[in-house]
Amino acid sequence: MAETTTDVARGEASEGRTTAGVDTDALFEQSEIAADYVEGLLDILDTDGDIDELVKDDRPIVEVVGEGLNQLVGPGGATLEALQELTRLAVFRKTGEHSRLMLDIGGFRSSRRAELQALAKKVADEVAQYGNPVRLDPMNAFERKCVHDVINARKDVASESEGTEPDRRVIVSPA
Amino acid sequence: MGTPPRSPDVLRPALEHLVKGIVDNPDDVRVRMINGRRGKRLEVRVNPDDLGTVIGRSGRTAKALRQVVTGIGGRGVRVEILDSY
Repeated sequence: MAETTTDVARGEASEGRTTAGVDTDALFEQSEIAADYVEGLLDILDTDGDIDELVKDDRPIVEVVGEGLNQLVGPGGATLEALQELTRLAVFRKTGEHSRLMLDIGGFRSSRRAELQALAKKVADEVAQYGNPVRLDPMNAFERKCVHDVINARKDVASESEGTEPDRRVIVSPA
Repeated sequence: MGTPPRSPDVLRPALEHLVKGIVDNPDDVRVRMINGRRGKRLEVRVNPDDLGTVIGRSGRTAKALRQVVTGIGGRGVRVEILDSY
């Protein structure tokens, strides 16, 4: 049976609102609806998994942790992406809000983020050293953001995305 | 990877849950598993008002539903979305 635990990272929020004016209660509600939707699926599949709901950086997050979750991740995270999309729709139906909810299963996104951060650093160092722009392989929105976040934190390189899904890529250039 | 193959029996309720959660008329959702001559298929019937939601822009949502069905052990099972009863 899937179990749900809750944890709201409110940060600097006061009276349920962050400095950016985002309603953290609304974001938390989104993560609760999303967790219920995913939990319902896990129960039908008789898959054990702990479900954590949180709000981090003004973004609702649902993380499923446990064993035997590979099927829900799928090749290259394809099933995870599909499930995230459906979960966002479930949140939209109940709240009327287009949610930026992030779903992670079996730590797939966190390990993929670590890989991409290492790749971005390596590419950024090369671009800074040799001065030639580099086009990365096509990536999905989550993967591109992982790369952009690393590049944006540096002053010696810049990044932008070009092309259309599913062939959209990040280009890293000298700043 | 170490996960036993899923019984096909869960595909129908799993798909039903996924569809019911995204439509305005969950009570109108019917999902049937059909063993046809050309293989198995899951037939999803929804309220006509919800058809657009379940198919999505450029078939995006239907594709996501098919991807999850494939992922949970339904490889080769077709998913058909209909608006009639």
